[in-house]
Amino acid sequence: MSGYHERYEQLREIIAEVLEVEPHELTDTGDFAEEYDADSLRAIEIVARIDKQFKVEIPQSELPELRNLKTTYDAVARHAGWQD
Amino acid sequence: MSLRITGRAAISSAGDHRGALAERLAAIGSDRHPGIPAGPVAAEPLPSGGMHAFPGLDIRQRLGRRGTSFYDRATGLAVVACGDALADAGLAVDDENRHRIGVVLATTLGSFKSTSDYTRDTLTNEKPYLVNPVLFPNTVMNCAAGQSAIRHRLKGVNATLAGGPLAFFNAVRYADNAIRRGYADIMLVGAVEEFSAHRAWATAIEAAGDGIGAGDGAAVFVLTGGDGGPAVRAVATGYGPGGSGAAALTGCVRRVLAAAGVSAAEVTLLATTELGRREGTESGRPPRPSVTVRTSSP
Amino acid sequence: MTQRVVVTGLGPVSSIGTGAADFAAALRAGRSGISRITGFDPTGFPHQHGGEVCGFDPAAWLQRISTAKWGRSSQFAATAGRLAAEDAKLDLERIDRSRAHAVIGTTSGESVVVEALTAQIVADGFGAMSPDLLAQLPAGRLAHAVSEELGLHGESVTLATACSASNYAIGYAYDLLATGEADVVLAGGADSVCRWAHAGFYRLGALTATACSPFDRDRSGILTGEGGAVLVLETLEHATSRGAYAYAEMLGYGVNCDATHPVAPDRATIAECMRIAHRNAGVDPSEVDYICAHGTGTPANDLVEAQAVIEVFGERPPPVSSIKSMIGHTMGAASGFGAIASVIAIEQGFLPPTVNWVHPDPQIPQIDPVPNQARPATVRVVQNNGFAFGGNNAIVMLGSPR
Repeated sequence: MSGYHERYEQLREIIAEVLEVEPHELTDTGDFAEEYDADSLRAIEIVARIDKQFKVEIPQSELPELRNLKTTYDAVARHAGWQD
Repeated sequence: MSLRITGRAAISSAGDHRGALAERLAAIGSDRHPGIPAGPVAAEPLPSGGMHAFPGLDIRQRLGRRGTSFYDRATGLAVVACGDALADAGLAVDDENRHRIGVVLATTLGSFKSTSDYTRDTLTNEKPYLVNPVLFPNTVMNCAAGQSAIRHRLKGVNATLAGGPLAFFNAVRYADNAIRRGYADIMLVGAVEEFSAHRAWATAIEAAGDGIGAGDGAAVFVLTGGDGGPAVRAVATGYGPGGSGAAALTGCVRRVLAAAGVSAAEVTLLATTELGRREGTESGRPPRPSVTVRTSSP
Repeated sequence: MTQRVVVTGLGPVSSIGTGAADFAAALRAGRSGISRITGFDPTGFPHQHGGEVCGFDPAAWLQRISTAKWGRSSQFAATAGRLAAEDAKLDLERIDRSRAHAVIGTTSGESVVVEALTAQIVADGFGAMSPDLLAQLPAGRLAHAVSEELGLHGESVTLATACSASNYAIGYAYDLLATGEADVVLAGGADSVCRWAHAGFYRLGALTATACSPFDRDRSGILTGEGGAVLVLETLEHATSRGAYAYAEMLGYGVNCDATHPVAPDRATIAECMRIAHRNAGVDPSEVDYICAHGTGTPANDLVEAQAVIEVFGERPPPVSSIKSMIGHTMGAASGFGAIASVIAIEQGFLPPTVNWVHPDPQIPQIDPVPNQARPATVRVVQNNGFAFGGNNAIVMLGSPR
């Protein structure tokens, strides 16, 4: 049974790998573009890995919402119907 | 005007420190190096026999993680070698000169592994389009030169030449032109080929008998216009269509001697890259009509 | 002493026509070469269209090389080279072969061969790769195919600078001629439609469904295309001595590198590339009558390209159209087709249209994309843009022969 904390840390690892930083370097509200040099390619790959890991499809139109770890988690939770 | 060599770097199975290649050559004399098991470099199964890979290459240690973890091996080799060559030349890149410094790299087909793996994903993924967008630039042959420019902030002439064993000479020729025509002041000129299972198998299947395993490496020179010191005096390349390789080579030698302004008698060493394969024919195998001229004094 | 350089032959092998006359008629008519992809099985891809050269029959054109031994991109290059040489009425028995060179640009080289080998790897492992296909793999063979087909002994160089590669090739050819190294150079580019590029562009969100609409407000991406585009360039002296007809004069070119991002174009560097091209060609922006755009049809490229044009040319730039609206993005051949279209614009006095154009883009109201219909015009100087992954920008300047 994977709870909120476990899922949150899984997401942190996935995103950290795409952004080429260590998981502990990725803060909850650090802006992907501003603080971690993310571009649209990386945003698309983050969405792809979320799809693979959690079986959750986030539409391309919501890419701008995925600004940091916290807003990304919220978007995933919303589409997955997780009740945290 | 010649092209002065003001810096150089080489990464090969012999190592990545300055002098590694010379030490290896001195150590083995006229013997053929047997190669090493290249398991650590490739995750896939490899053909039997020694390979000339360099397992010691640690991109993350050399360049850091940021911006590098999606490099393919060819790109990593090129970016590291360009950095080493800049350092060897003592060349500091700044806002004053970066527009006048360029990169030209030689290759056979870029990264066979990157293009083939990308295609494989379109064949084996549940949905053919679920490929990794971050890896897409690696499938383009100019990736290594483009990333070298990004990493070292070099905004001048940037080119990639595909030409197999001849490609480095074409690259020197291209850089020579760029400097003579005033498009650039300084050019990093190099060649890069990555070791991969794809190349190891291709080499094993194609070479049928000559027994030299696939290699791994990058070599980069820093060239600038002017005379004095070690310099490239002239470069010429040519092509021998329909088995006319010998005639084309003769023409090529004449052109390069004339361009260098030297007579045949003044040449002290003739280095060939002949691997003992059959002469180029209609099959399109390049006949390697390429010659460098090295003379003892300017 | 610098030689003047002229264009004396055109060899397009495209989805809208093979040979200069057919290609020119298609540009004038605004014909689309887009169809459902057959070069690979597009089943499973949301978008399935591209600009393929349907019914490409290299054996009908090629005299010396065997289609069994060369990959599709090499066949495009060699066929385009043969067509260009014939269009130039070049008597190959009478030229100095050691002063005749081939310079060919490409993005993906023999991509169809890579994909056939990959299918073998997937099915039966690495050991199953065919030696005959491996022999066709090196990208340098694109230029060798032209040298082999036409019997040229000079440099045989493949420039792999992605989607601006033909402009790089034409530029290098210009230098070989201008500096007196060469009499004649066959220059251009070739590429083939392939799965990996189709998948990659789709994944980037840069592939559109069926109609590429550059500079339109609602543009949504490229269509991958293919073909071979080769021009005969020669010194004015050589052309004159053999009584050749000069379509146009090559005035110069410029190249530089973004050095910022592998995929995203950089406005300031592209604007600077335009200035370099103008300076090297001795052209003032006010003299440019037409810009043959890179114009891929992606939101990012067309905006950045238009902004760079406005930065350099001011609020009233010359007309800017994109032939990619008709033939798709032919990758390494793209700026070669652009150069051929530019030469035809000069010679026949019309601007090729941007088809599929419906809505003006309010972000770039200054841009006149020559919407949907070719337009008669006196064209003296053309700027042919080519930009690429890796930040490889290359711009070729062509003018009417003097």
